[in-house]
Amino acid sequence: MRAKRKRFMAFVVCAVILICSMCSTGTDAGAVEEKTTFIVGFDAEFPPYGYKDDNGEYVGFDLDLAQEVCNRRGWTLKKQPIDWDSKDMELSSNTIDCIWNGFTMTGKEDMYTWSDAYVDNSQVILVNKDSGIQKLSDLAGKVVVVQADSSALAAFTSEDATKENKALAESFSQLQEVADYNSAVMNLESGAVDAICMDIGVAKYQQGNHNGLVILEEKVSSEEYGIGFRKGNTLLRNQVQETLYEMVDDGTFAKIAEKYADYNLPDCICLTSKNKTDDSPQTDGSFSVVGKAPKTIQPDGDASSGSGQEDTTVTEKNSVSKSGGRVGTVIVQLLEGFGATLAIFFLTLLFALPLGLLIAFGRISRFSVIKWLMKIYISIMRGTPLMLQLLVVFFGPYYIFHVNLASFGPHYRFIAVIIGFSLNYAAYFAEIYRAGIENIPVGQREAAKLLGYSRSQTFCKIIFPQMVKRVMPPVTNEIITLVKDTSLAFVLAYTEMFTLAKQIAANLTNIMPLFVAGIFYYVFNYIVAFMMERVEKKLDYFE
Amino acid sequence: MQIMAEIPVLEMKNVRKSFGDLEVLKDISLSVMEGEVVSVLGPSGSGKSTLLRCATQLESMTSGELSYMGETDPKEIMKYYGMVFQNFNLFPHYSVLKNIIDAPVSTQKRDKNEVLSLARSLLKKLGLEGKEESYPCQLSGGQKQRVAIARALAMKPKLLFFDEPTSALDPELTAEILKVLLELAKEKMTMVIVTHEIDFARHVSDRVIFIDGGVIVEEGKPEDVIDHPSNERTQNFLKKLQRG
Repeated sequence: MRAKRKRFMAFVVCAVILICSMCSTGTDAGAVEEKTTFIVGFDAEFPPYGYKDDNGEYVGFDLDLAQEVCNRRGWTLKKQPIDWDSKDMELSSNTIDCIWNGFTMTGKEDMYTWSDAYVDNSQVILVNKDSGIQKLSDLAGKVVVVQADSSALAAFTSEDATKENKALAESFSQLQEVADYNSAVMNLESGAVDAICMDIGVAKYQQGNHNGLVILEEKVSSEEYGIGFRKGNTLLRNQVQETLYEMVDDGTFAKIAEKYADYNLPDCICLTSKNKTDDSPQTDGSFSVVGKAPKTIQPDGDASSGSGQEDTTVTEKNSVSKSGGRVGTVIVQLLEGFGATLAIFFLTLLFALPLGLLIAFGRISRFSVIKWLMKIYISIMRGTPLMLQLLVVFFGPYYIFHVNLASFGPHYRFIAVIIGFSLNYAAYFAEIYRAGIENIPVGQREAAKLLGYSRSQTFCKIIFPQMVKRVMPPVTNEIITLVKDTSLAFVLAYTEMFTLAKQIAANLTNIMPLFVAGIFYYVFNYIVAFMMERVEKKLDYFE
Repeated sequence: MQIMAEIPVLEMKNVRKSFGDLEVLKDISLSVMEGEVVSVLGPSGSGKSTLLRCATQLESMTSGELSYMGETDPKEIMKYYGMVFQNFNLFPHYSVLKNIIDAPVSTQKRDKNEVLSLARSLLKKLGLEGKEESYPCQLSGGQKQRVAIARALAMKPKLLFFDEPTSALDPELTAEILKVLLELAKEKMTMVIVTHEIDFARHVSDRVIFIDGGVIVEEGKPEDVIDHPSNERTQNFLKKLQRG
């Protein structure tokens, strides 16, 4: 299911990008405004580059680097978790300044303005120890899983994939896609798939947390990570890159990498001061690729003792990490996201319930223009996925009207979620109301007419109270669905409870947080159903 | 016969009503004088209900004239008549008392205390004392219909229409309602009653109208129309009713 949804999402994203290119893009090359906030887009389920730690903070190698760059430049760092499928839309609509998240350059050289490569990451195969799979050729006839839209997938299926890899992929019985690495590992451990192809850093992290897994020595491909900026935004790229080189020179870069030694990161670093072309990092393509350079950037005396200190903090971090798996900690973390879920839920009801009534009026209006407009509106809202509607509400202003989304203020993401949900649910409520109104016996209206009630009096006094009673059961259904639908806000990277649960699950590499989230939903829905039942009982005095 | 100079409460002239190609009322003229009780008889589908619905403006006439007390303005004449439905059509979410007083207070803007005391006396008269705070779903069919009658009377109409007021009721409940109608007739309430209760029609009516095929077939004193019908169609209809 998830894989299907992702594939559909990818399709939607492609469609929106296509529309964008037809509408001609906005003017961002000339954006030379003084930067004060630096917005980094990242996938919060991608340790060690960007993820949510046990304290509920967004951390990771890339975010630490970005923080250091901001500290040195006097910028404010804004860490913006994004839905990976929407990264290009986020970037081109200015809601983020760059994608800095273990972002593979291979095959995407022309799509972004890239920094120099700073991590060399290879695609490797992760299998169960006792599977008997020892080399790539053993994968013939096996089920292999990759993350949707990942480098591993690209290594097998993109146009740039090597012949060997394409042939390898052909030999699999199936190449499946899943939404995140965590579910990939769950698939592997449960035996649903035979192997995962993933980035080496992530593979080592997963291997460290799951005893039964091994990484094949034979690699599928090597690749490099860079920071992706909006195409043409060389100014910002140069500023960031210049600071990065400073950090390489004084050893800070290596120190930060050392913090993530567990993930084998120091072994993957490939940004060195050696090839640095002073003051002119504009020269694209001057990638300083130093293959395997384990700790080549060892700083001198002081710094190495510094890195020693870092090592101790790493150990501390790990011990926290083990205790962080406790249910209590997860509950506390999820509560934060639950607030966001509640906000979506109540605000959507606040707007959608009355809006639905207006639409229902339009739908049964005597004016055929209004009637048809509402019919079309309801038909579209019910006939297309809510997910797509959310994307259109959020990105529409940019792709259709070229409005810079940053100008809508910092809360636009949340506002778009509420607008999208309200518009969608209002359509469903409208149809429920309409049915409720039309099912009231015509005799009620006739009696009201003969008693001299005006049209509005008839509705307010006679029809509406009876309608409310009749629509209670279907409205309760919709409301309960809404509680669970709030998780769709992930598509706009609005971190409600389920998105948060996935991020925590990715960090802990187990699915317990998802179960805890499930219990939250269940308990909340139980309360909702209970309250609605109470209301229904209250309306029992008439038939 | 009434005095010629008096204005009829209801006057319908050359009323026609078609639903698509189907002509349900074919040139019907009818007038009802103050204090008169008129029963409308006729087989199903004869057009008698449609006649009532046109007279109460629940249906618009295809052609013809409608006037109450000599007035013809569709909005103005609404105040002259009320109606009691076959299915009562009480407002289920209002108590008995609220069903009766809400319209006089909120549409006629009458004084609430005046309406309340009228409502209470109507309830007493109709044998519904103590039911003020009940809801329609707690009442029997006969009680519901009596509340519906009280509701219509509280509007102080000049003329009250009854559309088969007993056909949704059991025989014993029917008797309840007929007793009320008889009472109203004694008080000289002007009424037009569509009914199948031949005996009742004979007993209560000043005039009986027999409709069939969208036309008035026969009209006159009850003893003439019911006991000595001159028209063959009336005879057949009455025979069938007596057999049934």
